[in-house]
Order: sequence, then structure tokens, then C-alpha cells
Amino acid sequence: MSSRRRMLLKVIILGDSGVGKTSLMNQYVNRKFSNQYKATIGADFLTKEVQFEDRLFTLQIWDTAGQERFQSLGVAFYRGADCCVLAYDVNVMKSFDNLNNWREEFLIQAAPSDPENFPFVVLGNKIDVDGGNSRVVSEKKAKAWCASKGNIPYFETSAKEGFNVEAAFECIAKNALKNEPEEEIYLPDTIDVAGGGRQQRSSGCEC
Amino acid sequence: MMSEVAQDEEKWLGAGIAGLQQNAFYMHRALDSNNLRDALKYSAQMLSELRTSRLSPHKYYELYMRAFDELRKLEMFFKEETRRGCSIVDLYELVQHAGNILPRLYLLCTVGSVYIKSKEAPAKDVLKDLVEMCRGIQHPVRGLFLRSYLSQVSRDKLPDIGSEYEGDADTVVDAVEFVLQNFTEMNKLWVRMQHQGPAREKEKREKERSELRDLVGKNLHVLSQIEGVDLEMYKETVLPRVLEQVVNCKDELAQYYLMDCIIQVFPDEYHLQTLETLLGAYPQLQPSVDVKTVLSQLMERLSNYAASSAEALPEFLQVEAFAKLNNAIGKVIEAQVDMPVAGAVTLYSSLLTFTLHVHPDRLDYVDQVLGACVKKLSGKGKLEDSRATKQIVALLSAPLEKYNDIMTALKLSNYPRVMEYLDNGTNKVMAVVIIQSIMKNNTCVSTADKVEALFELIKGLIKDLDGTFDDELDEEDFKEEQNSVARLIQMLYSDDPEEMFKIICTVRKHILTGGPKRLPFTAPPLVFSALKLVRRLQGQDENVVGEEALATPKKIFQFLNQIIEALSTVPTPELALRLYLQCAEAANDSDLEPVAYEFFTQAYILYEEEISDSKAQVTAIHLIIGTLQRMHVFGVENRDTLTHKATGYSAKLLKKPDQCRAVYACSHLFWVDDQDSVKDGERVLLCLKRALRIANAAQQMTNATRGGSGSVTLFVEILNKYLYFFEKGNPQVNIAAIQGLIELITTEMQSDTSTQDPAADAFFASTLRYIQFQKQKGGVIGEKYEPIKV
Repeated sequence: MSSRRRMLLKVIILGDSGVGKTSLMNQYVNRKFSNQYKATIGADFLTKEVQFEDRLFTLQIWDTAGQERFQSLGVAFYRGADCCVLAYDVNVMKSFDNLNNWREEFLIQAAPSDPENFPFVVLGNKIDVDGGNSRVVSEKKAKAWCASKGNIPYFETSAKEGFNVEAAFECIAKNALKNEPEEEIYLPDTIDVAGGGRQQRSSGCEC
Repeated sequence: MMSEVAQDEEKWLGAGIAGLQQNAFYMHRALDSNNLRDALKYSAQMLSELRTSRLSPHKYYELYMRAFDELRKLEMFFKEETRRGCSIVDLYELVQHAGNILPRLYLLCTVGSVYIKSKEAPAKDVLKDLVEMCRGIQHPVRGLFLRSYLSQVSRDKLPDIGSEYEGDADTVVDAVEFVLQNFTEMNKLWVRMQHQGPAREKEKREKERSELRDLVGKNLHVLSQIEGVDLEMYKETVLPRVLEQVVNCKDELAQYYLMDCIIQVFPDEYHLQTLETLLGAYPQLQPSVDVKTVLSQLMERLSNYAASSAEALPEFLQVEAFAKLNNAIGKVIEAQVDMPVAGAVTLYSSLLTFTLHVHPDRLDYVDQVLGACVKKLSGKGKLEDSRATKQIVALLSAPLEKYNDIMTALKLSNYPRVMEYLDNGTNKVMAVVIIQSIMKNNTCVSTADKVEALFELIKGLIKDLDGTFDDELDEEDFKEEQNSVARLIQMLYSDDPEEMFKIICTVRKHILTGGPKRLPFTAPPLVFSALKLVRRLQGQDENVVGEEALATPKKIFQFLNQIIEALSTVPTPELALRLYLQCAEAANDSDLEPVAYEFFTQAYILYEEEISDSKAQVTAIHLIIGTLQRMHVFGVENRDTLTHKATGYSAKLLKKPDQCRAVYACSHLFWVDDQDSVKDGERVLLCLKRALRIANAAQQMTNATRGGSGSVTLFVEILNKYLYFFEKGNPQVNIAAIQGLIELITTEMQSDTSTQDPAADAFFASTLRYIQFQKQKGGVIGEKYEPIKV
């Protein structure tokens, strides 16, 4: 049973609106890129099969809405994540400043049992823009922040040009795999001999 | 404290999770032992937990996510089963034996996903089947989550172009059709929800509906991610179909939210190319929908798009975006009669921002927007709604920020007309914004006409509007405002003296309406501005100035006289006196004796009639003496009259020490170094002697009142004057007088009764040191000082 569980790795991508979360996922899963900005609504995932140490895994990559008003149902989907990707735009200082908020929000909401060692990966995206002339967050600064948060792996990426995306997700998958699964060990307190299941509690229509 | 309802909900969620976990446990066991029958049984029981009606959408989502995760394991199992030779078609049939419909459909969707992946049937057929079957659930919350599940598991299996599921039979049209159908059904469930349940729970229901909105909106996100949805398909199919739903559902929440979604999830290029269709929907929305916010968001997006790339601009022109937006806004405002003014102004403000971004060269567009705004505001009187005024300030500030030049704004005929509708307070705020813009950009306002327009614009600062004067006015704010007007006056400049004079006259006209509180702030900068002009004219050849020229020093001085006169009636006589003296000095430099004399006369009248405070008198008299000393334009007669008066004023000051100091200062009026005609040694000495007498009297007075002798400071000061004139070669000031004075001071200081005054001692000591120093210098000076004994 546990072997089946370990075949699926859940990854959540967080970050401000417009940093390229959807583009990073699309580039990695479909090798496609579109320059057009399209907001994401709610949470949405794509899967990708990855081979690692001779085993096949399914990477379940959750792309999220960066705009709060498109996250009306809350973040129950954080539950059971194996790795959290924090993305920002190297050309927008605010998106970097907000990484801390995203990280803390994730730790509070997902409540992993060992928050100190929960695997994060930081992606500094859009390094291609204007030949790097418009960037405002230096690699040094980003790395310093990552180091201060328990040596978070850091990648500079360009979803547009596909630069470093593959390598980043390889690292993401590796770290997700290292994360000890938090399978809630469930043991039924009564063995249901009759096997008839529990009483149906639902009221209303019988659907 | 958790409310009872929330506590109950936690309990229900806990029970749901427990039931789910228990069945999941048995499901896992069945999966591990490859027992398909049990796996289906327990998974169906597990999914039965989702049949609850007791949870709010948030809590339901938590339960749903747990079930969702478990179903992924089941999905993998199904995949393995098919690999082991189990027919997927059989599986698809088999799961439909589940007793309850909700679990059955979840299982069906899960198998369906594997079915599509197996490619044993065309994707479109399976999708069509699933989306139809889901009609079986008409409970809104359950139905929405089920369909959202379907949407999620089919997400990567849509026959999009380039997808592995695209085939002869399957095209992107099928993919779009499937998502649109799911969207339509979900929207119906969502809208219908408000009509279910008792009326008293309406508020709770609205909140729950709001929480559920993203489930519906996500379909639009899915559509936008389908690669095959190109502009053509978006224009012909997607947008019309979505808008049809939005308009026809007649639901406020849905309409507001979905319009926002459309704007946000689809790319800018699409919006530009379908503007007419999109905008056509707005007037059809329910009157209660907050159209202005959604429409503003659209314009904001398009503005950003225009700003982001120069290549996008031709697109805007090609589709006549401005005209379309302008038209749409007009229609919306017309259709929504009850829209508050703030709403309408917000719309115009967004349109203006859009115009400034997209058509920076089209001032007529900007004016058109402002004009439309005026039309909307007209007949409403002054605005009192603070949100509306805030929006107007934003509206009026936008062109200033864009052009960094008030001159451009002055060209907008509707600009001042919009300002008319601001309340007095906001009018002032706006006027300050305008002045700050001028300061920041160092804008040169260089013609009288422009100045006229500008002052008309900022009249809120220049005078009391409507004749009302606000007593509550904050003194500091007022000063701040008037100081900014003063700074503005200094900024007005033309190279042409004639024009400059016209500018000055225009400013005078306006500031004279400002009343006594403002003139002390606004008159001085104008006076100095005019004096600057006089100085400029002095540099010019007299002949250049034509006969009918307005800007002659004489005329300007006349003008100045009037301004200062206005100021003296305020009354601020001290300020007026200073300005008169300043003018007198300028007239002196222009060699206009009668004018300079007139200014002095005015200053004297003020001194005699208006300045009564003794300290103010002291200050004034020293200013008078100082100025008079520098005048060289006066003939003997005029000079005598003026110096005579000044000496007279000095001797009549209230306090003896003040008298003394003023009188010895007057000595300088009779001895001017660079004027050979003014070297009257005798009268200098008279002044000094008179000062000595007064100093004596002052000391005696102190003796009488305090019982001890006063300070010798005054004597030391006079000694210094003696030394000055001695050095300058005044024959009347001789060694004997100086010697006598030194001895007098020494005796005074040694007398028992004298008051200790270390400052005076030090002053005297350093004066003696100076004499010593001069003696040691040798040469002419040394010889001169030699006889003085210290």
C-alpha cells in the first residue's frame, strides 16, 4: 500500500500574481509557452511522469491563483504536499519580498509535522526579460534569503526560453521524494464484521 | 469563541473525515490484495461521505480534497487493472453498480479518466457521456464539486490541438464544447442555489455562494488554457457562449464575478479584438452589478498592456479602442440611472488613464472624457460625496502626472469646468497638486493669458470661494497653502519685459481679491518679481523702450506703490514699510529721485501713523537709517528733510538705550564714504555727542531706580563710533574726545557702584586692544593712533 502512495508526489507552486507559475508548469509538463498573461482561478494541477532511480513517479503539480480574489475556497489542497515551490519575478521586487509571506502562509495552512525541514524550492523566473537589464533582485540577494531559511535550493529560470526549468523540477521531485510521507496511520477502532458500512447520515435527496 | 454553528460544523466534518478514513482503510486493503469488488464497495462507501448537506463550502472542500487524494490511488489501481487485462469498458460498466448516484458518478469520472487515457474510445464520447451523466446531481454544492472533479480529471485529456487525444474524430471543438457545457451546468447550479432554502438564510447563502465561485470560474481558466482556442474560436464561439450565460442568468453575483473572470483569464489581444462584443454585454447586466469596477479593471488591464509594449499600440488604434470604450461607458451610465456619481467618475478616471497610456498625443480625447464627466456632474451642484471627490482628484491629477506640464492641462477646456464641481476643501487640495506639479517640473508659465487661466484654476487658494470664510481653518494648513502660492508667483517669468509686466498685473488683479489674510503672503513675492523686472530694464538701453511701452521703471514703481498701499491697509504696516524701503532703494538705483522720495514719504507716514509698538519702532528706524544711508539719488534738500526726520524719530524712541543707539546710527547719515557730498563732520559729532548725553541720562536713570550704576556698554559702543570716524578722517572727531571717553569708561568701571557686566568689560578690553593694535601697525594709521593713551 505504501508503495502505491509513494508513487505520487504532490508539489504546490506559490507566488505573486504574474510571476509565471502557470508558465513554469506548462513549460515543464507540456514544453509550451505563451507570452499572454492569463490569470489562474482556484487551484489546478497537471501531472507528469518522472523516472528517478529506476522508479517511475507521478508528479502532481498544483498551480495556484496568485490573486487572492480567485482563491475563494481556501487552500485545503495544500494538504499532503511533498514539496512547495516559491516563485517570484526577478524584475519585480515586491514579488520577492512576498516570498516570506507565501512560505509562512504555506507552513501555517499545510501544517507539516516538521516545518523546519519541509522541502521548499525557490525559483527566480523571467530572467530573460530585457536581456536581464530590468532585473531588480540579484542572484546574491535571493540566495542569501534562501540560505537564511534553511538552505532552500534556488534556481534562476526562464519559463519563456525553457531555461533551467527541467533542472529545477528535477530538484523539486528529488526533494519531494526525500520528504517523509505524512501518511496518517489509520486503524479502525472497531472492526466492521458485518461489512455493511456506516449508517447513512445524509438528509435531503438521495443522490 | 467558536459559534455553535461552527462547532457543529467541526463535529460534522470530523465525523465525515472519520467515515472517509475508515472506508479508505478498507479500500487500501482491497487494493493491496487486488480485490476489485471490495475496492469498489469501500470506495463507494467512502464517497458517500460527500453526500452530506451539513457542511459549508469551505469544510466540504476539505472533505472533498481527502476523497480526491484517495481517488488518485484508485485511479492508479484502475490503470494497473487494465494493464492486467481487465477491460476498461467493463470497468466503466461495473462502477455504475454503486448504489448511490453521487459515489457512482465520482467513480465513473475516475474510470472515465483512465478510459480516455486508454484511447479505447474517442475522448469526446467519454467526455460527453460524463458531462451528461453529471446532470444526475442537482444539489448545488454536491453538483458543483462533482463537476469540478470531472473538470480536474479531464483537464489533461482534452482533445486540444497538439494533444495526444486529438484525432480525426476528436477536435478542439469537442474540447471547448465539453468545457462550455460543464461551465453552463455549473453556473446554473450556482445561480439556482440562491433560490433554495428559507429566505432568512439568504445572507449565509450568499456567503456560501461567494465561496463556491471559483469552482465555476475555473472552467473559464480551463478554456483559456486550451491552446486551440485561438482568437477566431474565442471570438466566434467561446466569448458569445460565455456571455450568453452571464447575461441570461440575471444574477448579480454571477455576473459581476464572471465578467471579472473573463477579463482576467483571457489575454489582452483577445479583449482588444472583441471589445465590441464584450462591451455590448455591460449594459445588459443587472442594474445592481458593480459595472464600474469590472469595466475599470478591463481598462486598467488594457492600459497596462499598452504600456508594456509599443507593438501593441497599433492594435489599439486599429480597433478604435478609445471610441468603443467611451461609447460603452456612456451607455452603462445611461442604463444605470442609479449609479452614484462616484461610480461614474471612477469610470471616467479609468478611461482617462487608458487614454493617457494609449493615446498620449490625443489631447482632444482627454478633453472629451473630462467633458463627459462635466456632463454627468452638471446640475448636481458641488460634490459632497468624499469618494466621488477623491476620484475627481485622481481624474484631474492624471493628466498632470502624464504630461508633467500644467500648460497641457490648461489647454483642456473642460479641465476647469470639472474643478467647479469640487467642494472648496478639495478644490484647494487640487490647486496645491497643480502648484506642486509646476514646482516639481519647473514649468515656465510665460504669458499673461496662461497666468490668467492658471489663477482661475487655483482660485480656491487665491480667494474665499462663495464669499464664505471657514473659521475652522487650520492655521498651519493655510500658511502652507499661501506659501505655495507665493512660490508659484516667483515661478512666473517671461523674457519679454512687456509680457512680464502683463503677467505681474494679472497676478495683482487676482491676489488683490484674496483679502487681508492672504495679501501678506502673496504681495511680497509679487513686489520682488516686479523689482526684478525693474532691474532688468535698467540693463537695457533707454532708446529701445518705445514710447507707448508699458513696462517702464516709472510705471512699475507706480504699480508697486499701489500694491504696497493695499498691503498697508491690511494692516501689516511693518511689512509694508520694509517693502517701501526696498522700492525706494530700487528707485535709487534707477535714478528716480521723486519716486524714491515718495516711497520714503510713504514709509515715514506708516512709521508715524501705524507703527506703535516700541520694539517694532526700533526695528523700523534702523531699517530706515540703513536704507537712507545707501541712497545717493537725493539732492541736498530732500536728503536733509529725510535725515532730519530720521534723527528726530530716533531721539523720540521710548527707551533711552534704544534712543542712544538710533541716534549714534544716524551719525552715518552725515558721513558716507563713497559720497563726497555727504561728509558733514560737524553733524556727525553732534549726533555722537547727543548719543553720549542720552547714554549718561540712561545711566543716571538706572542709578536712580536700581541704586547702582548701569552698564557701560553704551559708552563703549559710542567709543567705537568715535574710533570709526576718527579713522575715516573726520576732523571733528579728535584725540582729546576719544581720550576723554576712554577715561570716562575706565572710571565708571572702577567705581564701587558699577554693575558687573562681563560682556561690557570684554567689549571694552577688546576695543582697547584694537587701539593698541592700530598703534603698533605703524605708518599713517600708527601715527594717527600714536597719541591715544590706554
